[in-house]
Amino acid sequence: MNKWFKSGSPWIWLSAGGVSISLISVLGLLWLIASRGLSYFWPSDLYQFDITDQNGAKSVVIGEIYDREEIPVSQLAHLNLQLDPNQEVLERLLIKTGNRELVSLDFRWLLSNYITKTEKPKEIAVVERRTHGNFYGYIDSVVLDGKTVDQSELPKLLERVDAFQEQIDELQKSDIGAINYKLERLRLQKRKYQLDNELTPARQAEIDSETEILKQDYEKLEAELMGYREKVARDHIVMRAMDGQLVTVNFEHILKVTFNNQLNVFQKTGMFFSQIWGFLVEDPREANTEGGVFPAIFGTVLMVLLMTIIVSPFGVIAAIYLHEYAGKNALTKILRIAVINLAGVPSIVYGVFGLGFFVYMVGGSLDQLFYSENLPSPTFGTPGVLWSALTLAILTLPVVIVSTEEGLSRIPSAMRHGSLALGATKAETLWRIILPIASPAIMTGIILAIARAAGEVAPLMLVGVVKMAPNLPLDGNFPFLHLDRKFMHLGFHIYDVGFQSPNVEAARPLVFATALLLVTIIVALNMTAVSIRNKLRERYKMLEH
Amino acid sequence: MISITPKAQATGSETSFESKLDLTNLTPEQVALDINKLNLFYGKKQALNNISMSIPKGQVTAFIGPSGCGKSTLLRCINRMNDLVDDCHISGEINLHGNNIYNKHVDVAELRRKVGMVFQRPNPFPKTIYENVVYGLRIMGENNRRNLDEAVEKSLRSAALWNEVKDRLHESALGLSGGQQQRLVIARAIAIQPEVLLLDEPTSALDPISTLTIEELINDLKEQFTVVIVTHNMQQAARVSDQTAFMYMGDLIEYSDTNTLFTTPQKKKTEDYITGRYG
Repeated sequence: MNKWFKSGSPWIWLSAGGVSISLISVLGLLWLIASRGLSYFWPSDLYQFDITDQNGAKSVVIGEIYDREEIPVSQLAHLNLQLDPNQEVLERLLIKTGNRELVSLDFRWLLSNYITKTEKPKEIAVVERRTHGNFYGYIDSVVLDGKTVDQSELPKLLERVDAFQEQIDELQKSDIGAINYKLERLRLQKRKYQLDNELTPARQAEIDSETEILKQDYEKLEAELMGYREKVARDHIVMRAMDGQLVTVNFEHILKVTFNNQLNVFQKTGMFFSQIWGFLVEDPREANTEGGVFPAIFGTVLMVLLMTIIVSPFGVIAAIYLHEYAGKNALTKILRIAVINLAGVPSIVYGVFGLGFFVYMVGGSLDQLFYSENLPSPTFGTPGVLWSALTLAILTLPVVIVSTEEGLSRIPSAMRHGSLALGATKAETLWRIILPIASPAIMTGIILAIARAAGEVAPLMLVGVVKMAPNLPLDGNFPFLHLDRKFMHLGFHIYDVGFQSPNVEAARPLVFATALLLVTIIVALNMTAVSIRNKLRERYKMLEH
Repeated sequence: MISITPKAQATGSETSFESKLDLTNLTPEQVALDINKLNLFYGKKQALNNISMSIPKGQVTAFIGPSGCGKSTLLRCINRMNDLVDDCHISGEINLHGNNIYNKHVDVAELRRKVGMVFQRPNPFPKTIYENVVYGLRIMGENNRRNLDEAVEKSLRSAALWNEVKDRLHESALGLSGGQQQRLVIARAIAIQPEVLLLDEPTSALDPISTLTIEELINDLKEQFTVVIVTHNMQQAARVSDQTAFMYMGDLIEYSDTNTLFTTPQKKKTEDYITGRYG
């Protein structure tokens, strides 16, 4: 035994065990969020259950099975069920029944004892709608312009509607959006002239005429939009719900009609990928519980990139000063310790700082200086993407400083001396020799900064993230990048959908899907940075002495 | 025991005449560097004691002595590399063209362009061979491609490296062997046309064949530059230098032409050292 200890084997086993536990937890985490998240996109089978409850009342339930669980019989004592006395647990099913206009909850629990018959009829359709969630039921009839037509016309009609919807979106988002934006700018310009007492009649007339032209354009576009809407709303389908009720669903609300029970594996796979694609590129609907997360992806990536652009130069400059120019005395040591300790400050504290300093102080002053025409509604004096990026830049600054400094101190003095002996000044040596050699270390710092910033949510809630941002921070209106706008963020989206949603059951798989996406994006950002670093390393490989 | 190679006749009778200079009595034109009462302290410890000597132009001067005698420190004083050492204080003068390089108004970068230096270990930059050679020129603001190309070829030829690397000028300098790297570093130093070239034990990290190449190179270099070399290898000093200075414990013990120093040393310490009694 003693010999075994001396041989070092126990320590090897111990460290190997540590590695295994880390590996298992990482893989387990990925597996959990991947399986839960991805199953959300797989088109599930649609069931029809015939139900007889303990009072003998019969009913029919149509929907997808969302979850199964087993509950002890003792919990159900109050229901006075006629049960086999040996039976200890009962299975119950969570069924997504949709049809929110008929019943307020689109989920319901079914005790398996009540189910007398389970079928998967091929004719059940699930209608994905813009509002009110899914509708499950049978298609009773398709009505084209007031006349009932054959159901085989449905795909063609849907295609026609899709084309119109695309044009409607285009009109609403870019054309009408642009006009609104211009009108707002004109109003602000007028207000500015008024504030400066420079509103001459000529200017007034000019602004008025421009406004008039824009308003005319607006009316024209609005008429066009109305035209499309009418065309879209021409047709409807009549659906028969599980209780036999007939419900009219207008085409203007329909996104997709699918017969899940008729799909084979390949079609299901195709739908799986198209659902994932939709999740990535669409806007959220229904208080974020449906639709995609595109604005959140966009906001996360944009904010992290902005943060990187801000933090890299500052961190590198600070590290260079600390390492190369600051005197080697007690003050420098204290500074260095202070910088390292900054990395340990809780992130919410940075959020509070960002709100107090950036948003209220800096932003408020900016508004008074440059955007006074907009007051009292704030431009920069309110949380926004710029302040979020700046707050996270400060949060990650220590990481960049520390790893850049480490990189600088690893460079052999022979490099500096070689350059200085050739008549280069200290600054030239830094710029031409030291910084290129230190660049992999700088990249390491940036990688760590990105990893930390992309996952940070708490401070963002104070300085710029919102549940639903109507506009992206980047669009076609001058100046294109709107740093004052609020934005959506995947991390906050997870929190919002998971804990603030009115429809918890519907949102649960979305939480996992969004978490998986967030992890994927952070990994992708990191991988990009890592590959840049490896290229730099290859290029500035040091001599092995 | 110590073999002294006769001074190369190829360098001409003039050189062999100059090798018998009277070192205590040089004319201003013959002097490259004039060191005058130089004292150097690292903190409170004195490393150089009142050194005075004149280094003649266009010749190879060697500093020899046991480890820690101050020979490298003295060499580093000549291009003020000791400025980089914290806590280093210097008194006395080193005159280049009659101007004290420790004068307040001296531009150190400018001085180092005139007094180049090659270190003990080859230290090529992690750049291409070409960029290594033109580094000093680029610092001086030379960006004309043709001038740079010319300088590269000339310097590499002078450093006896051209034939080995002419086909891979744009590959990394780190792929060269140690001896090639050291010659590249010499080429890099001479590309900016310094007046004085300081070599700090340039062959101590190299194999015998590379050492021989570099020694031959030093012999050629003195036609263009004043060379000052520090070496712990007495045979090397005897082979490559015209003048030799022997240092011990921060003192300059003896300084005369190489032939005299190795055959008829005047001081007991010198004799003890060159006959291998200590060191």
